[in-house]
Amino acid sequence: MIRLNNVVASYKTERGVVNAVDGVSLEIPDGCIVGIAGESGCGKSTLMKVIYGDIGFPLALASGSVDYGFSDDSGKPVTSRNIQKEWFKRISYVPQSSMSSLNPVIRIRKQFLDFQDQTGNKAQILEQVKSYVKKLGLPEESIDSYPHQLSGGMRQRIMIAMATFFQPEIILADEPTTALDVVVQKSILLLLMDLQEQMGNTIILVSHDMGVHYQVTDKMLIMYAAKAVEYGDSEEIFQRPLHPYTRLLINSLPTIGDDRAREGIPGRPPSLWNKLQGCRFADRCPLATDRCRNEEPEFVEYRPGHFAACHYADSEANLSEVS
Amino acid sequence: MSIFQYFAKRIGLYLVVLFIGLTITFFLPRLMPTNPIDGYISQIESRAGQSLRPEAIAALRSNLEELYGLKGDIFTQYVNYLNRVILHFDFGPSFTNYPEPVSDMIFRALPWTLGLLLVSTIVSWIIGNLIGLVAGYFHNKRSATVLEVVGILLYPIPYYILALTVILVLAYFLPVFPLSPTFPAEGLTFGNAGTILFNSALPAITLVLAGFGWNILSMKSLAYTTKEEPYVTYARLKGTSNWKRMTRYVFRNAMLPQVTALALSLGTIFNGALLTEMLFSYPGVGLLMRTAASSGDYNLLYGSITMSIIAVATAGLIIDLIYPLFDPRIRNR
Repeated sequence: MIRLNNVVASYKTERGVVNAVDGVSLEIPDGCIVGIAGESGCGKSTLMKVIYGDIGFPLALASGSVDYGFSDDSGKPVTSRNIQKEWFKRISYVPQSSMSSLNPVIRIRKQFLDFQDQTGNKAQILEQVKSYVKKLGLPEESIDSYPHQLSGGMRQRIMIAMATFFQPEIILADEPTTALDVVVQKSILLLLMDLQEQMGNTIILVSHDMGVHYQVTDKMLIMYAAKAVEYGDSEEIFQRPLHPYTRLLINSLPTIGDDRAREGIPGRPPSLWNKLQGCRFADRCPLATDRCRNEEPEFVEYRPGHFAACHYADSEANLSEVS
Repeated sequence: MSIFQYFAKRIGLYLVVLFIGLTITFFLPRLMPTNPIDGYISQIESRAGQSLRPEAIAALRSNLEELYGLKGDIFTQYVNYLNRVILHFDFGPSFTNYPEPVSDMIFRALPWTLGLLLVSTIVSWIIGNLIGLVAGYFHNKRSATVLEVVGILLYPIPYYILALTVILVLAYFLPVFPLSPTFPAEGLTFGNAGTILFNSALPAITLVLAGFGWNILSMKSLAYTTKEEPYVTYARLKGTSNWKRMTRYVFRNAMLPQVTALALSLGTIFNGALLTEMLFSYPGVGLLMRTAASSGDYNLLYGSITMSIIAVATAGLIIDLIYPLFDPRIRNR
């Protein structure tokens, strides 16, 4: 189980310090696919960086901690301070753009051998890489190629092969399919789900695409303006969302046969530079009251395993009015 | 485009460049209003007094025209010229060192020039790029900024000031190297390689320093931007070591434009030769050109210019031909 304890992550800029993730607490059970959704700038990617342990100037972990629920070789529990030693062994990462994430001038085979303190017989590892790549539906020779010789879908498969080669406990995927066309997107997502089922690892997936979340994820986290606003089983969230923001997000999805124009959510998220008071969604929320504008809602478990940060999460008004 | 097409295209381009260069060197002097043979004959006439008969002068003129390739109309001359230069590498005899053939003089001087300039250009490229790589890769470390300052200080200094400073410091204040070098007459052999290296050190140091600044500065900015490329970030997140990231990821990519720059700087190598060889009285093609220009030795000037065109074009061709070794995107399409 991955446990995030009140994580506050801030960026140091010339204008001052800004909290891009502001007090997120979560428990992610082992062996599930968790989706993170939210608008650009809501802190999804920063949260991913914190979970991956890629914390360096200008990003800093201002307070809180991440526990990964496993120990390193010397028996010490792994936290965000020492996770870096486990990169690509127990936690790995699938980047967004496979074209620019592979070194264009060296063969893929060599990039497979670039992991940290790679020991053991190179030829033997390459044999393993070859058979693994074959299992993922790529020709064996593809590891002898240069990146420009492969198609976008093949390259993304290579990235997934790299990320899963050591069977890590945790895989982070930051919009792994955004750069691909929908047909390839589907096959890549199916591959990820397949591998997850075989290895039983935890996948944390960031995507803008609510459709992807609906099809792929077991659990979902909705973020808004650096805060977690809702977290729970994906099915629950899509069927019976607690937070008005989630509800509006889901309502903006098109459905087949329904050709009414979709409404977006009017307004924009607040600037994190401003002094924020009350619920951060209050300005755009159709249900907002004076209480929302002045008092910040707590992130509470309303139903078993289903959390939300809204004063009216369980009120009838919320359930009926915004639909 | 396959690799063979790439090679064919480069070689074709090379031949075209050579041809155009030879054509220009042929026509340019012929546009001058003076005729070298008239000048030569009037010199002989004034020395001999009025004792030469007109038939003798006509015979002399005809011989000289034959010797210097000035017989017939301009088209015949051009064809003869190409025939002589391309097939026999014959530029005629030298005026000043008559009757020694110009090609012999050039071939004697060429190894000196090529040896000095190629070695110093390549050394300066390698060291400058390595310093630039470290300065760019560790741009946020203070010690690396010092390396960049070396480049900023060296780059704007004009070559002659740099060279004179090096002479002052290393041959006068600290007499490490000889003030004016002496070279063994028999040329490079195993026995005197040490002497030659020692005597060539001073000009070589000035040339290395002169090329340094630019290499450091350009590699620094290339390494700095390459370091921010997603594939370098991804390698870091993969846990690839700092050393591997700097060499295999940043350097392998950032060196590509620098290889092209090396080809371009080899093109200007003979500019450097002229000044360096004059300052250090170094027996290369540059010094030969200077002597030829100041004493009106047309054939020698012709020959050394043609030779430098061939050398520069060939250097560019060689870089073009080895470039695919560094960039697989050209090697396998």
